[in-house]
Amino acid sequence: MDIGLDIFLQVMVWGLYAGCIYILLATGLNLIFGVMKVVNFAHGQLLMIGAYVTFSFFVLTGFNPYVLLAASIPILIIIGVSIERLCFRPILGTGKLNEIFISIGLIYILENVAAMIWTDEWKVIQSPFESITVTIGSMKIPVDYLIIIVTTVIILVALYIFLKKTRLGLAVRATSQNRKAAMLVGINVERMDMLSFGIGAGLAGAAGTLWVVSGQVFNPYMGSVPAVKAFAIVIIGGLGSIPGAIIGGLLLGIAENFTVLTIGGAWKDAVAFLILIIVLIIKPTGLFGEEAE
Amino acid sequence: MIENKRLVLYLTLATLACAVLIPLVTGLNVYYLTVLIIMVIFIIYASAWNFLTYSGQGSLGHAAFFGIGGYISTLIAVKSGFSPYLTIFIGGAGAAAVGLFIGIICVRMKEWFLAMVTFGFAVIIQVLVASQFRTVTGGWDGIAAPPLISSTVPNYLVYEYYSILLIAVIVILLFRTMLHSKIGLAFSAIRENELEARAAGIDPVRYKLLAFMVSAYFAGLAGALEIHYLGYVTPEIFGVDISFWPIIYSISGGLGTLAGPIIGTIVITLLWDGLQSLGLTYGRFIIIGVILVLVVIFLPRGLVSLPEEIKKRAPKWKVRFSKLLSK
Repeated sequence: MDIGLDIFLQVMVWGLYAGCIYILLATGLNLIFGVMKVVNFAHGQLLMIGAYVTFSFFVLTGFNPYVLLAASIPILIIIGVSIERLCFRPILGTGKLNEIFISIGLIYILENVAAMIWTDEWKVIQSPFESITVTIGSMKIPVDYLIIIVTTVIILVALYIFLKKTRLGLAVRATSQNRKAAMLVGINVERMDMLSFGIGAGLAGAAGTLWVVSGQVFNPYMGSVPAVKAFAIVIIGGLGSIPGAIIGGLLLGIAENFTVLTIGGAWKDAVAFLILIIVLIIKPTGLFGEEAE
Repeated sequence: MIENKRLVLYLTLATLACAVLIPLVTGLNVYYLTVLIIMVIFIIYASAWNFLTYSGQGSLGHAAFFGIGGYISTLIAVKSGFSPYLTIFIGGAGAAAVGLFIGIICVRMKEWFLAMVTFGFAVIIQVLVASQFRTVTGGWDGIAAPPLISSTVPNYLVYEYYSILLIAVIVILLFRTMLHSKIGLAFSAIRENELEARAAGIDPVRYKLLAFMVSAYFAGLAGALEIHYLGYVTPEIFGVDISFWPIIYSISGGLGTLAGPIIGTIVITLLWDGLQSLGLTYGRFIIIGVILVLVVIFLPRGLVSLPEEIKKRAPKWKVRFSKLLSK
């Protein structure tokens, strides 16, 4: 098949936009892992909750769904902090498999609480900018895609500034580098756990809002597919590496859209896994991962 | 210790006697038989999953092997006309081959990566079976699977139940033999400290792959039994639920013990059916989720350790209780 330059660019933009949601999820996972050395397998379910929170507020208030980021992020931060305190805090340091088992319990709880509140039917809302497109050169890009990309960039820049320029961010980074040493210099590492889990959950909430705004359907059980992709990105980019998550997310978004274009839509979800296997065979620690513990 | 061993033996025999007698006592009641059949199949499945954890590995996607076993066995039985009692073993072998492939990719990985890869694998294989291999697998509609014993035979469910029970007993004895042999020792050495195991001349990669293959084989076998018992197979079999059940059973029963998955399966299945009869559709999932979280936090060695924990804590409770009374 002959792919012209304009189609190539178009697919790149689609990939960027698709990658944004994955990046937000994967960044949250990495932040939590960096600080707590815990992988939250129920992260996709947090995205799902974020999507429903946005949906509910949209139905109730009729606000522009982008504004509802201001609702979904804080609510998810609260949920994240409670999950950390109630479920992960008691088992921290007991056994590496325990956190996985706790996550499974959480997946059951979150999915079915959502099903009880919002029923298990597929839902979708329409963005107010749905029919507006911007023409750049020969490309037609929906304005929603551009807003989503810009929003993600803003969130990531804010996270970067928080981590690099504030004292609290410094403490988070210190805890993630060396927990014991951080404790010795007087950092309350348990508070850092809470903080990082809250931020991670907030990022998942933002991803949920963007998922809804981009017109994708959702139901209480939709969390596992985006979560699997976020895991793939985390592995591709290296566990605990936030730049890795960003590059991995973009790679995956672009690769997915090229797959749809060249092989067919059914392979879209499988391609993440194929990339994952190839990366693991070549470099088992991920592209940007640390060599060893 | 000897006392304990004898007690375990008696309990095992008593459980087995119950398993054999319940259908007879209840007058071959069809409802009890269906509950028991599913329970025994899931005991095989949960034990297979638990076997993997002996080697220090874990999987969040065992539904992949469960389903592959089911699909391969069904397809072969349909195409060749062989009895499902033969094809289930081929289904298991197919699952073992896929297990070896996944094992080779994952064997040098840490727990989290392994969990993510296996979790992702089950999701992806569902997509592939439902869409890419639609011509063979029938897509989301699935295909009919030949029954273990033709339903024209009177009391066919009873024969199915006893044959499945026999397979389960053999499988668990096999696991027991393996774990009490050199293999079991090598597994625990690897689980405790891989570096030391290597220093002692154990090749961790070989043993980990062995654990993965054996576990996948019996998960596939269990899947094939389930499918032939149900009479149809759809891609739903690769669902996240099916991956999580053996984990929930093994953990609530007691990880890393032979009895754990068996006790866990029995207790949780009964609880599940009880909650269902109360009419809780979403509520029962939430209850199971809460139980899982509570068990991991407060009873990390599962229900198997419950008598021990009570013995350990009973004196404290007694003191507290008598204090309350004296007030």
